Amino acid sequence: MIEGKSIYLRYPDGTMALKDINIDIKAGEMVYITGVSGSGKTSLLKLLMGIEFPTSGLLKILGQTMEKEEASNIRRLRLKLGPVFQEFRLIKGRTAIENVMLGMRFLNLTPSEIKRASHDAMEKVGLEHKLLTPVENLSFGESQRVAIARAVARKPSLILADEPTGNLDVDNAVNILELLESFKDINTSVIITTHATHLIKNSNYDKLIHINNGNIYCESLGCSI
Amino acid sequence: MKSILFNIGYFIKEAKTLFKINLLSNVFTIFSTGLILFILSMVISGWWISNEVVRVIEKESEINIYYDEGIVKDDALKLAEEIKGHEGVLEARIVKKEEALKRMEEILGKEAQVLEFFEDNPFSGFIEAKIDLNTIDSVIEDVEEMYGITYIRDNREVLDRLYSISKILRILGVIVVVAVGITTLFIISHIIRLGIYNNREEIRTLRLLGAPEGFIATPFLLEGVLLTIGGGALAIILSNLTLEHLFTMMVGPLPFIPLPPVESLKTGLVIITTLLSIFLGIAGGIFGLVSSKVK
Ligand SMILES: Nc1ncnc2c1ncn2[C@@H]1O[C@H](COP(=O)(O)OP(=O)(O)O)[C@@H](O)[C@H]1O
Ligand SMILES: [Mg+2]
Repeated sequence: MIEGKSIYLRYPDGTMALKDINIDIKAGEMVYITGVSGSGKTSLLKLLMGIEFPTSGLLKILGQTMEKEEASNIRRLRLKLGPVFQEFRLIKGRTAIENVMLGMRFLNLTPSEIKRASHDAMEKVGLEHKLLTPVENLSFGESQRVAIARAVARKPSLILADEPTGNLDVDNAVNILELLESFKDINTSVIITTHATHLIKNSNYDKLIHINNGNIYCESLGCSI
Repeated sequence: MKSILFNIGYFIKEAKTLFKINLLSNVFTIFSTGLILFILSMVISGWWISNEVVRVIEKESEINIYYDEGIVKDDALKLAEEIKGHEGVLEARIVKKEEALKRMEEILGKEAQVLEFFEDNPFSGFIEAKIDLNTIDSVIEDVEEMYGITYIRDNREVLDRLYSISKILRILGVIVVVAVGITTLFIISHIIRLGIYNNREEIRTLRLLGAPEGFIATPFLLEGVLLTIGGGALAIILSNLTLEHLFTMMVGPLPFIPLPPVESLKTGLVIITTLLSIFLGIAGGIFGLVSSKVK
C-alpha cells in the first residue's frame, strides 16, 4: 500500500526534515508514527497526503508515485484517503453533518449513499445528537470527532491522523485513539502520529515507526518507548 | 457524477454564503452592473429607434410643395392632379391653410397660444405628395419646373441626418458594448477574486480532500452569474420604465415621427440583456478564478 525508499525531504529554507526514510505499510495495517515534537512526524504525513513531495527517493501510495509532476493523479489518489488534520479544517458556517457530507460530494456516490454514510460515521464517532449543530458551536473534542467522521465516511483505503491527541486529556486521548484504531479493516490502513508514546503502550498496533530528528530511529517491536 | 443534482443545492447555498460574506461589495456590484447594462440598453434603443424611423421614412418619402398664393383654388387642384400623374408620385393632395394651422396647433400642444399673436392664419396651403424614394430627385426636378410652384420642402435632408445619427449610434453601440464588457468583466472578476481570497482555507481543505477544480469553482461561477443576472434585471426594469416614459412623452407632441412599437424593442432588450448578463457572469467568474492567486 505504501512503499518508500530512501526518502529525503528538505524544505525551501534548507531544513532537512526527513533523512533516508524507508517504509513499507501493507493494506489493513494499524501504524503509529511517534517521535518528539519537531522530529518530522507531520512532515512524513504531509508526504503521505501529497502536500509535500520527496526531495529525493521514491514514494508510492496505492501504486501512485508521489511527485509534483503527478499533481492531477495525486488529486485523484486523495479521494481514497481519509485525512484527519491536526487543525481539523472543518468548513465554518456549516453544520456537522454538512461537513461530513462535503467530503463525499465529489466521490461519485448517490445522494442516498452520501446521506447514509455520513449518518453512520456521525453515529460511530458518537455525535448522532449533534448532526445539525454548526461546527462553530462544537467543543474541541467534538470538532475532532466530526473531522474523524468526515475522514472515515469516505470509506478510504488509508486513514491519516496527525497528532489527534494533541490537546486532549489522557482519557479522551485514549478514546480517540481507540476510535481511530476501530476503523482499521482488511482494506483500510490507519496511520496515526503522536508524540505521546505513553498513550499507545497498550495499543494493538501492527507497526510503530519512531522518528528521531528526521531519521527512522527504530521500527515496531524493536522500539523501546 | 451521480450527485450533480444533489450538489446543485449545495452550490447554490455556497454561492449565497459567498454573497453574504461580502454583502456590501456584492450589492454595489449588482448596482454598478445594472447601471452599466442600463446605459447599454439605452444606446441600443436609440440605435434601434433611429433605424426603424429611417426604415419607415425611406419607404414613403413625403414632400411639401408650395405654390403661388395668387393661384385660384381650381388651378391648385389641377396642379395637384398633374403632380399625382407624375411617375413615382404615389399620392398628392392639397392641405388647406386651415388644416396647416390645426396641425401646428397639435404639434405645439400647450405652446399653441403663441399662434394667437397672429391676426390672420400665418400658414399657407400646400400640396402634400408621397413619393417613391428612388425617384424623388427626378420628381422634385420636374415639379420645380411647373407653373406656379414657389418652393419644395423635402425630407432628404432629414433623412440624411437620421442616417448619420443611426451610424453614430451604431458605432457608439459597439464602443459601449466593448466598454461594458470589459468593465463588467473587471468588476465581476474582482469580486470573485475577493470571494476566493476569503475562502482560501476552505478551498485548500477541499483540494486536500481531493475535490476536482470544477467542483470548487462552481459556486464562484454561480456567484458571478447571480451578480450579473441581478444587474441585468435591474437594467431591464430601468430601461423599461425609461422607454415607457420616453414613448408617452414623444408620441403626444411629435405625432409625425413614426415611432416603432415599443413592445418589440422591450422584448429584444430583455433577451439581449439576459444573454449578455449570463455570458459576462460566467466570463467574469472564469477570469476571476484564473487570475486568482490561491493555489
Ligand atoms: N514548512 C516548513 N518549512 C521549513 N521547515 C519546516 C516546515 N515544516 C516543518 N519544518 C521543520 O521540519 C522539522 C520537522 O517538523 P515537523 O514535521 O512538523 O515535526 P513534528 O510534526 O514531528 O513535530 C522541524 O525542524 C520543523 O521546524
Ligand atoms: Mg506535528
